[in-house]
This record gives sequence, C-alpha cells and structure tokens, in this order.
Amino acid sequence: MTDIAARQLPRSSNGKIGDPLFRGVATFFAVLVLVILSGVMIALVHGALPALGHFGFGFLLTDSWNPVTDKFGALAPIVGTLLTSAIAMLIGIPLAFGVAVFITELCPVWLKRPLSTIIELLAAVPSIIYGIWGLFVFAPFMQSYVEPAIVNTLGNVPGIGRFFAGPPLGIGILTAGIILGIMVLPFISSIMRDVFETVPLILKESAYGLGSTTWEVMWQVVLPFTRIGVVGGIMLGLGRALGETMAVTFVIGNAHRVQTSILAPGTTISASLANEFTEAVGDLYLSSLFALGFILFVITFIVLAIAKLMLVQMSKRAGT
Amino acid sequence: MNAQQHATTGAAPSNATLGAPRIEVKARATEPEGQARPDLVEKVVIRDMSFFYKDFEAVRGINLALYDRHVTAFIGPSGCGKSTLLRTLNRIYDLYPGQRATGEILIDGHNILEPGQDLNLLRAKVGMVFQKPTPFPMSIFDNVAFGIRLYEKLPAAELEERVESALRRAALWEEVKDKLKQSGLSLSGGQQQRLCIARAIAVRPEILLLDEPASALDPISTQKIEELISELKSDYCIAIVTHNMQQAARSSDYTAFMYLGELVEFDETETIFTKPRDRRTEDYITGRFG
Amino acid sequence: MSAVSPIYARRKRANMLLVAAALAATTIAVAWLFVILYELLLNGLSALGPTLFTQMTPPPGSKGGLLNPIMGSILMTVIGTLIGAPVGIMAGTYLAEYGQHSRIAGVVRFINDILLSAPSIIVGLFVYDIMVLQMGHFSGWAGSVALAILVVPVVVRTTEDMLTLVPNGLREAATALGAPKWKVIVTVAYRAAMQGMLTGIMLAIARIAGETAPLLFTALNNQFWTTNLNAPMANLPVVIFQFAMSPYADWQSLAWGGALLITFTILILNITARIVATWSSFSR
Repeated sequence: MTDIAARQLPRSSNGKIGDPLFRGVATFFAVLVLVILSGVMIALVHGALPALGHFGFGFLLTDSWNPVTDKFGALAPIVGTLLTSAIAMLIGIPLAFGVAVFITELCPVWLKRPLSTIIELLAAVPSIIYGIWGLFVFAPFMQSYVEPAIVNTLGNVPGIGRFFAGPPLGIGILTAGIILGIMVLPFISSIMRDVFETVPLILKESAYGLGSTTWEVMWQVVLPFTRIGVVGGIMLGLGRALGETMAVTFVIGNAHRVQTSILAPGTTISASLANEFTEAVGDLYLSSLFALGFILFVITFIVLAIAKLMLVQMSKRAGT
Repeated sequence: MNAQQHATTGAAPSNATLGAPRIEVKARATEPEGQARPDLVEKVVIRDMSFFYKDFEAVRGINLALYDRHVTAFIGPSGCGKSTLLRTLNRIYDLYPGQRATGEILIDGHNILEPGQDLNLLRAKVGMVFQKPTPFPMSIFDNVAFGIRLYEKLPAAELEERVESALRRAALWEEVKDKLKQSGLSLSGGQQQRLCIARAIAVRPEILLLDEPASALDPISTQKIEELISELKSDYCIAIVTHNMQQAARSSDYTAFMYLGELVEFDETETIFTKPRDRRTEDYITGRFG
Repeated sequence: MSAVSPIYARRKRANMLLVAAALAATTIAVAWLFVILYELLLNGLSALGPTLFTQMTPPPGSKGGLLNPIMGSILMTVIGTLIGAPVGIMAGTYLAEYGQHSRIAGVVRFINDILLSAPSIIVGLFVYDIMVLQMGHFSGWAGSVALAILVVPVVVRTTEDMLTLVPNGLREAATALGAPKWKVIVTVAYRAAMQGMLTGIMLAIARIAGETAPLLFTALNNQFWTTNLNAPMANLPVVIFQFAMSPYADWQSLAWGGALLITFTILILNITARIVATWSSFSR
C-alpha cells in the first residue's frame, strides 16, 4: 500500500511540472514556424526598401540592369520567371497527367510501386544535378537538334515566327523551361495520383458500367470530380517552378533583357540572385537583388497559398 | 444436415431447347410452374460459373437462367456471393486484377466470359445501378446524356427527347424538368438513384442489374424504386440483389437464394417464399439466420 | 446496333490514343531519370578515385580532390539536422497532440506547408540578412542555420502525420495507467511513430544534402580545409556550381565527380527512408 502510494507521488508531480513544460516547448517551436516565415518577410522587405524607395513602382516595369550606372529594373527577371514557368507547366502538366493515369488506371499492380518510386526519385535528384546535366548534356542537344528544327519550322510561321527565331544557342528560356517541366512533373503527378484515388470506386464503376472507356472515365468523370485537387497540385508545381534556382541558373544565360524569342537567353529572379548576389557591390545593387527576392516571395506565397487552400478543400470533400 | 447440403446443390431449371447444363443429382421433383409458359425467353444462361478473388472461390458452380421481361431477385446473407454473381454479368470485376470468372455466361447465346469479348459493348447491353447513388459531377441532363453520347451522335432535339423519355421512364421527369441544368448532386438520395436508373436505361440496354439499389434510401424512395422496377420489367431482363426479403417478395418474379457462394434454390418467387424446398432457404426467409 | 459502329470506333481510337500517350509520358519520365544517372556515371566515374577523398580542391589547371567540400557538406548537414529536426519534431508534436483543430494549429500547418515548397534561395537571403550581415562575414554557422530552416517543415509534416496515425487506444491505455500526457507522448506515441518520424528526418537530410541556393549567400565556399564554423566553409553543391560553370576541364571533371557522389548519396538516403517507412506498423 505505502509502496504504491509512494511511487504514485513522484509520478504525479512529474506530470504537474512535466506536462506544462512539454506543452510549452512544443507550442514554442510551433510558433517558431510562424516566426520564421514572418522573419523571412521582414528581412526581405528590410533589404528591399532602399531599392524600392529609390526606383518606386517603376522597378517592376523597366528592364535596365546596369551596376555601373546603378540603374536597376526587375522586368527582365520577372518576365523570365513567368515565361520559364509557363513553358514548364505546358510540358509538366500533360506529362504528369499521363503518368498519373498510367499509374492509377493502366499499369499492372506489380509495377505500381516501383514506378511510383522511380517518379518520386525524379523529385529527389537535387536541382544542381539537373543544372549540370542541363548545361553539359541537354543544352548541346537542344542546340544541335531541337532548336534548329524549331527555328526552321515554327520560326517561319508568319506572325508567331518571331517567338521562335534567332540563333540556336542551346542556352535560353526554352531549355530552362523544359528542364523545369520535368522537375515539377513528379510533384504534380503524385498529387494527381492521390486525388484520383479519392474518387469513390463505385462512381468509376458506374461510369465503366455504362460502357465508358478509360479515357472517358478519366476525362469526364474522374477529372471533373477531382478538379480542385488537380488544380491545387498544378499550383504547387507552379510554385516550385517559379522559385527553382540552380537548374535554371545553369542554362538560362543570365541576360537582363526582355526578348521576344523563347530561344534567346534571359534570366529569372532566382537565377539573378544566384549569379549576382555574392558579387554585388554597392548598396543599391544589393538592395535591388533583395527586392527581386521579395517579388519572388510574394508571387510564390500567393501561388502556394492558393494551392494549399484548394488541396484542403479537396481533402475535406473526400472526407465526407 | 450434411446429406441435405449434398442433395441440393443449386440447379438451373432445365430447358431442353437451350440445352441447359448437366442437371444436378437429385434435382427437385417438380419443375417450376413457369417453365411451361411459352412467353419465357432465357436471356441470360449461366453455366457452371465460378468466381475467384485471387485464389479464394467466392462463388461456386452456378447454373441459372434469367428470363427476359422478368425480374429475378438474388437473396442470401451477407457475403453469400449474390453481389459477386451480379458483377460477373457485365464483367465490371474486370477492373480489378486478380478477379476472374470461369465457366460460361451466355447472353443471347453468346458467351461473354470469352477473352475476346468487347467490354464496352457488353456494358452498353447490360446496364447496372449500384448500392449508392452515383451521379457524375455534371448536370442532370448531362448525366443522362452521358451514356447516350457514348454510342450515338444525335441532333440536339433528338438527344433532348431521349433524355426526357429516360427520365420519364425512371419516374423522375416531373421532378427535374425545370432544373435539368443543375448538378446531379443537388438532388435528394432517392432522386439521385432514379437519375442513375434513367442514365442506365437511356443507353437502351437489354438487361438491367440492380445491386441493392434501395439499400441507402428511405422507405418512401424505396417504394418508388420498387414501383419503378415493376414498371421497367415490361421491357428489360432485370436482376436485382437485395438484402430485404420483402423487397424481393414484392418486386420479383423469380428468386434465387444463395448461401456460402452456392446457389441453394431457384424458383418462382411465390414458391420460394411459401414452400421452399431447402431447409436453409426456409431458415433464411423465416429469419432464423442471416 | 450498326449505327453505333463509327462512333464506337472513334471512341476506341481516342482511348487507344490516351493509353499510348500515358505510356509515352511515363516512359519519358522514367527515361529522363535514367539518362541523368547514365550521364552522371559516364562523366563522374573518371573523376572518382582515392584522390577525390584525400585531396583538397585545386586551383584551376591542376589536379586535386573534394575533401574539404565533402567534409564541409557533411558538417553543415549534420548541424543543420541537429538544429532543425528537434524543432520540427516539437512543432509537429504540438500540431498532432495539442493544437489539433485549434485555429493557431491551422495557421501553423498552413504556413508550414508553404515553407515546405517555398523557394530555398529566399531562405538564403533571409539568413544572409540575419546572420551574415550581422556577423560581417560568411560562415559555416550561417549555412547550417539555412539548412536547418529547410529541415523544419519536412520534419513537422511527417511528425504530425505519423503521430496522428498512432491509434488513440494506445494513448488512452497509457493514460489509464496513470502516465502524464508528456510521458504518454514520449514513451508511447513517439515509439509507435518512430519509423515514420525517422523516415521524415532522412528525407529532410536527403533534401538539404543537395541544396545549393541557400548556401551561396551563407556558407559561400572555401578553397581550403576548415572546421571553423565561423569562417566561410566549402561544400559540395557550391563547389559543383562554381567548377561546372568554369572553363577549366579539371574543375569540370571534379564537378561531375561531386555530382555523382551527391546524387547517389541522396538516392540511397531516399530509398533507405522508403524502406524504413514500410517497416512502420501504422503506415498504410
């Protein structure tokens, strides 16, 4: 009796101190996550203020980037970021959809796991590897085969020809966009796969039961049913593409000009930062780079927030 | 008990003209009365059909015929294989690897279990309605038109006509005619299920499979579905799986009692419910087990 | 029935097209991975040798190895994980065990998921601002902190997911024995979710091991051997970046060697993490 009582005492006092302490520590670190994000925001604004104050709203709209005369404008990197991401989406979305359809509907069971693993390893390869491979292998390939073909076909089409004109350099917006497309593919396809699997079996069965083909079931029933989740996945991939740095830096060409041809070299926000930040001399130069970072942060934050909200809505609906 | 089990392995009523398969030992003494009626056409003939989930034999050696323009109900305790049997008739099980059926299922004399069977065309001919309503994420009109568009390219007016007649046939037209553009999900559960029936019959199938179509519905919706079934049998060969014996008694012409993957007894519904031959059937319908 | 045929034939063709396209997409994705791995082996194997692990990075035009960046990478990855993982575990514990459906937990979850996908170069800028500028120089510490910030969201996410998979019955049983909540969490919930949490940490390590962008502005690079975390510190990704972009063949070859090393390390980490995850008794 006394033994048990004696043992209980320290245990309960243990709880009296231990519980609030443990809870406090856990809460502290959870709040720290919020602090980190606000810290990032504050640091970026703080760093960007001199440039934004100096150039004003025009910073967004000019494409001059001259460290010698201290004239900076963000237009070229912004356009480059949006263009490369757009190309990435054009390539990544259909590929990701194809992969997701293949894995969920067409592939034999024994192949599902190894195939999913391979696709996910594609996402695990560090971006610098995509960069070095892009520079030494893919860019020369684009230069000798793909780009001449584009220049000779699309480049001659009246009207849109100027978007595909110019010397095939291998390095440029298009090459960066294609590599980005492959990089975001696994992110988009794994979300598509997840949301496709939330479609009730019975709904798919009743579509098949009417004699629909796989294509009709996917396109007319599964896709409309999972629309929010699919768009959320695409936005997540877009967020990745917008902020991707190293893979782009290697193959973009780092040219601060807005050009019409997607074959021309350009730059993106993240590539400008990677290339120039440590070499930037002068407060205005550095602050302009911070301003670029701030713009990138705002854009990706919005895109990722939308993605997140859509995915939450999707999982709520799947739960009911 | 043991002897009885051996004695009553399920047997289809024999039919000389269609060459029904081997008659089981000690088959019942009397043929079902309906057998003699000349208007009975065997739409589906199942011969020695077994069904496997991987290595597990879920349904064993079924011999059975479903008559055109009649309703056949499948009853039995959960897990007896009645839904599984139904799912072989349009081969919906083909979606899942590891599931397979052996034996023969003849629809209009053609064996649908043959490997070369075109599944889309089969399913156009054999419509199915599921346990829960499954409206597609699109408008009421598009739900019904979905199946039609798969097989026919009709001018708009004709398509509308087809949709209307399917909805009328499913006794839903009056309730939805003013909101055809609304989402199918906006309807009540009972309405959704009738929408699914309209969708199935819009394709103009010849056989309708109903897998516990009222199990998720309230009594009033259930009654409507049952009325609908007796309406529809003038045009279709209908097979319905139900766990509700009153429902089977009310809405079917023939009843098959299944137990542990086997067909125990098949006869006219009245006979099954009034003078079942097998003890297990009797026990089940009187509620002694299951 | 005959009227059906042309439409049906077209539908069949459309479906065949989808099947072919899906197959093609999958082939492209799989082939892409193998082409990258093949090129890595092709170009990297020649650089791989004992000197890679025993010599320092050379000046342009001479032979050398990657000893200092390898050690720098290991050091910063370890420190980054040691800082980031406990933060992530505790924050994840808060979400799963305390916050649950509260408003603040919702906000933390939301922000954490955004941090999970946020551009890593932004984290580099942040740490540059709060550490490099304040200390007046680049340093291994700054690099480690930048990596730690990238570890946190991954670990938070997996910790929460794994803890919510632990059946409540286990917690109730332990509580019924009179254990205080923190003890229930530490001794029962953590133990039950161990493999999953471990998987999360390994995936986080795999992620930071190849990160380049945040190190560019924090640890920078160092030609020489150093274990001084207060000084700029060499690391594989940044060395790969600088050497690959250089015009010197020796440097480019070393970059390929480093790339090969880093990729296979990360792939092995990833595959091991997946294997560990399958041991987990509560993962579906």
